[in-house]
Amino acid sequence: MTYLVAAYAVMWLITFIFVLSMAIRQRHLAAELEALKERLQETKRYGE
Amino acid sequence: MERWGVSKLAIVLHGLAGAAILVALYMALVFAPTEATMGHVQRIFYWHVATAWVGFFAFFITLVASIAYLRTGRRRWDIVALSSVEIGLAFAVIMTVTGSLWAKPVWNTWWTWEPRLTTVAIMLLIYATYLLLRRVIEDPGRRARFAAVYGIAGFVSVPITFMAIRWWRTIHPVIFKSEGFDLTPAMLAALIVSVLAYSLLYISLLLLRTQLEFLSDEVAELRESLDE
Repeated sequence: MTYLVAAYAVMWLITFIFVLSMAIRQRHLAAELEALKERLQETKRYGE
Repeated sequence: MERWGVSKLAIVLHGLAGAAILVALYMALVFAPTEATMGHVQRIFYWHVATAWVGFFAFFITLVASIAYLRTGRRRWDIVALSSVEIGLAFAVIMTVTGSLWAKPVWNTWWTWEPRLTTVAIMLLIYATYLLLRRVIEDPGRRARFAAVYGIAGFVSVPITFMAIRWWRTIHPVIFKSEGFDLTPAMLAALIVSVLAYSLLYISLLLLRTQLEFLSDEVAELRESLDE
């Protein structure tokens, strides 16, 4: 029974880490995108 | 459909994958009968085989996307190939670890260099190298072309891994034989549901991962245009 529980735990742990890493990457990219958009707006305003 | 963000299709797909995983969990832990010789530890089998199937399928999708990229030169195929390798590798690692945890009580060892396990180790190294090599090539076009060629060549390891237990003498059991399955009907049903559930999870993750890469491209484009 110990091995069965360990196998299921490992399976879900790896899946969770993979999904979490995607969520973290998405959050960083979304934040960077927003910052770049703001910079673009400022550049346009400055250009005008 | 939106290029990234939460679309309706994605929500439906993630919901379906989640529900299917719960059903598969029930089938593997409750519905399937306890195997007479190995006992409860044999239930690892349903997830071990399902993740193996998804891993192999993910690498096949990389093969198809790599061929499509070389034919069309479209970035979207490169994204699919890369995303599928990442997911395939995660599933292949799950397959290897669950296999090892099953092997210990049944074979009395965590690992042995028999043909199936050896070919699996080589396959894992090949696809881990795919991800590492992508990081060291800076030019995007060259990186995508190289990755596509590597994705096609690397797939050779997949049928060899699958056939290893049929071609060479090994302690790994053969479940799928030309004359049928070595399983009771209830075990086969649990296995089929597990394979379907994990396949849905793969599609769901592929959608998320490709959307992430599109977002990354958008950020890179905007950054370049600002730096000019």
